[in-house]
Amino acid sequence: MSGSPETPEPYVSKIDRRTALAWVGVVGAAIAGGAGVVVYGPKMGGDTVTRGYGTDPKLTKPEKAPWSRIMTHGQLQTAAILADYILPANATAPSASSLGVPDFIDEWVSAPYPDQVKDRPVIMNGLNALSVKVLKTGAADRATALAALPASQDEATHAFWKRFRRLTIGAYYTTEAGFKDVGYIGNVQRTSDPGPSDEVKAHLEQAFQKLGL
Amino acid sequence: MAAEPYDVIIVGSGAGGGMSAYHLTKSGMKVLMLEAGRDYDPRIETPMFNTNAEAPLRGVSTPDKPFGFYDATVDGGWEVPNEPYTVAEGSEPFIWWRPRMLGGRTNHWGRIALRFGPLDFKPRERDGLGHDWPITYDDLAPWYDKTEKLVGVTGAYPPQNLTNTPDSPPGCLLQPAPPRAFEMFYARAFKAMNIPVIPMHGAVVTSAMEGRNTCLFATPCGRGCAIGANFQSTTVLLPPAMATKNLTITTNALVYQVDLDAAGKAKGVSYVDRKTGEHHSVTARAVVLAAGSGETARILLNSKSSKFPNGLCNTHGMVGRYLMDSVGLNVTGQFPHMEGLPPTNDDGNGVEHTYVPWWGYDKHKALGFPRGYHIEIGGGRQMPSMGMGGLLHDDDASVGDELRGRLRQRYGSTISFNGRGEMIPNDDCYCELDPTTKDKWGIPVLRFHWKWGDSETGQASHMVKTFLEVIDRLGGKPMGKVETDGRKAISKGGEMIHEIGTARMGHDETDSVVNQYGQSWAVSNLFVMDGAVMVSSPDKNPTLSIIALAWRSADNLATLAKQGAI
Repeated sequence: MSGSPETPEPYVSKIDRRTALAWVGVVGAAIAGGAGVVVYGPKMGGDTVTRGYGTDPKLTKPEKAPWSRIMTHGQLQTAAILADYILPANATAPSASSLGVPDFIDEWVSAPYPDQVKDRPVIMNGLNALSVKVLKTGAADRATALAALPASQDEATHAFWKRFRRLTIGAYYTTEAGFKDVGYIGNVQRTSDPGPSDEVKAHLEQAFQKLGL
Repeated sequence: MAAEPYDVIIVGSGAGGGMSAYHLTKSGMKVLMLEAGRDYDPRIETPMFNTNAEAPLRGVSTPDKPFGFYDATVDGGWEVPNEPYTVAEGSEPFIWWRPRMLGGRTNHWGRIALRFGPLDFKPRERDGLGHDWPITYDDLAPWYDKTEKLVGVTGAYPPQNLTNTPDSPPGCLLQPAPPRAFEMFYARAFKAMNIPVIPMHGAVVTSAMEGRNTCLFATPCGRGCAIGANFQSTTVLLPPAMATKNLTITTNALVYQVDLDAAGKAKGVSYVDRKTGEHHSVTARAVVLAAGSGETARILLNSKSSKFPNGLCNTHGMVGRYLMDSVGLNVTGQFPHMEGLPPTNDDGNGVEHTYVPWWGYDKHKALGFPRGYHIEIGGGRQMPSMGMGGLLHDDDASVGDELRGRLRQRYGSTISFNGRGEMIPNDDCYCELDPTTKDKWGIPVLRFHWKWGDSETGQASHMVKTFLEVIDRLGGKPMGKVETDGRKAISKGGEMIHEIGTARMGHDETDSVVNQYGQSWAVSNLFVMDGAVMVSSPDKNPTLSIIALAWRSADNLATLAKQGAI
């Protein structure tokens, strides 16, 4: 892929160097690319790992999920394009791909657990079908293909769109950037819980009046 | 660390076992505690403040971690590797939650700490249903007082004098955190229905308490608490017991049998080391079973001898009988009037700040079901999870700024209503040994039998009706398909993780396994100090009562020991 105006920047996996090194240990040969990031493709060597994280994983500093990732380079690039169609960057919030959502999709569809195994063909087949329309195509064709997804009459395509969008939303809003965007201000140590502000109470009072309560 | 010979062996380290160890070691007795799971230290193992983005799969539940990645439960859940259980053919579903860790289920529990009320101890006297305890509320009340002061329970409030919903005496409870926005919101609907909303009693330190850290008003309690602000056996009971130097804890010790001497007294127990597979026998002057209602029954049933061919203390077929759980059910609503609220920190103290106690004690005849339920209600702007997309309408297809705006609008606008109701014991709910299935070490496993009664399913129907009315009064809409038939909407047996009553206390050996102090009728130095001793299963969550009963029973055991009576 070139960096022409019509082609999005290639997606670069958002994993840190420590994780990358751990992955080398797990899956064999990852392709190191620059400081702190790894671009990985479909030809990672080594044994395939399909086990889960077990019933006693380390919780305080969770280790990278042990299972091998199965998405191809093309699927990852397609996932980045679609994730950024759903949640592109705006003036105050980053794009889904910049938060590593495509990597998360890969982690999800590669997982050995029943819910994720069920999602696997839905997502993988959907990405394969979409990749033809969004990779190596012009901006206008790409935009048309993406915009057509929600209204697709094809059952598999519709299921793919709904599931991929759900996963993207979940992956995005569970990050610190997502917290900020949606307005979650908790997870901070406090000495007391002061309860709702006057502003919140005023909002509630208006609601009670409208509801006759 | 205590040296042999031991005075007491305690099997289990959770609410009952931890409390027994606390009191017996402080009474000067040498105690050996055997825990089936691994050693566990919440101070260094709790994922405080971790975000879901740091966890595999954003922390969603998996078969390896059924309550989510960060749930404190170790090596367990609805299934424990190598330790199966079975459900009898023709039975309704039953599921059994077990951890394998020091402190047992006190590490992840919901920390709702409600006292049983006077009526709960005398249900048969009240309406002829169920069975009466050999004790009254007044017998246990002083132990509830002591327990609340030790555990650290929030919810102090001026006396309400509500039926069967005891007010704790002054000084027992801690100052509660104020209601959050969603709690203020739902309270108004209940008020309009003449239903009280009062502070929840939660096992978390919310105001200054000597010797304890105060809650940080952040990070979920179900992960455990590294600073010991909530109640876990591993932070509140076991460290002081260890400090007496009278306690030895052996972990990975799966007890399967109580051993008797020639005179028919308990001389100790046998266990298998879960890691090495080696079998061991240990001895003491008395044995306390507090392995959880299921495991405690299993140990008794597996302790067979010529005198007890059907299992220890089971001459009258009482072991495993009267298995109970709580009735459970959930309906979630979405409320346009809660949309667009200014950002507010709803993390709270980890337990609901308010709740709805059962309000219909004088209406059961008209209601058509005999026993009630309380309502636990969740909501607010919780830390986002993979469920975020579920906030939107199913057919919502927005993207970009429109999607961001809709999520901001609806975030924090859902409220979840959870009923927890009383179950009346019945002859169709019990556990026994499976005739063929054994665990990895060849020990017979439990086979469960379950059937909800009409009392429970009728109550479940009423829960749904109530929740739908509340949602409607608040201008909301239920989310997802709501099943209004209680027979279909009711939880599975065991699903509320309140299974109790397999070795109940009573008046004599024909109607029970133990006396009011957990002392078995058949073997005078064998005691049961967990939920197995319970005679009824009120709507109130059982843990606080398990602790209070264990403390009372342990105190009696210590007295008997001093008298040379065991």
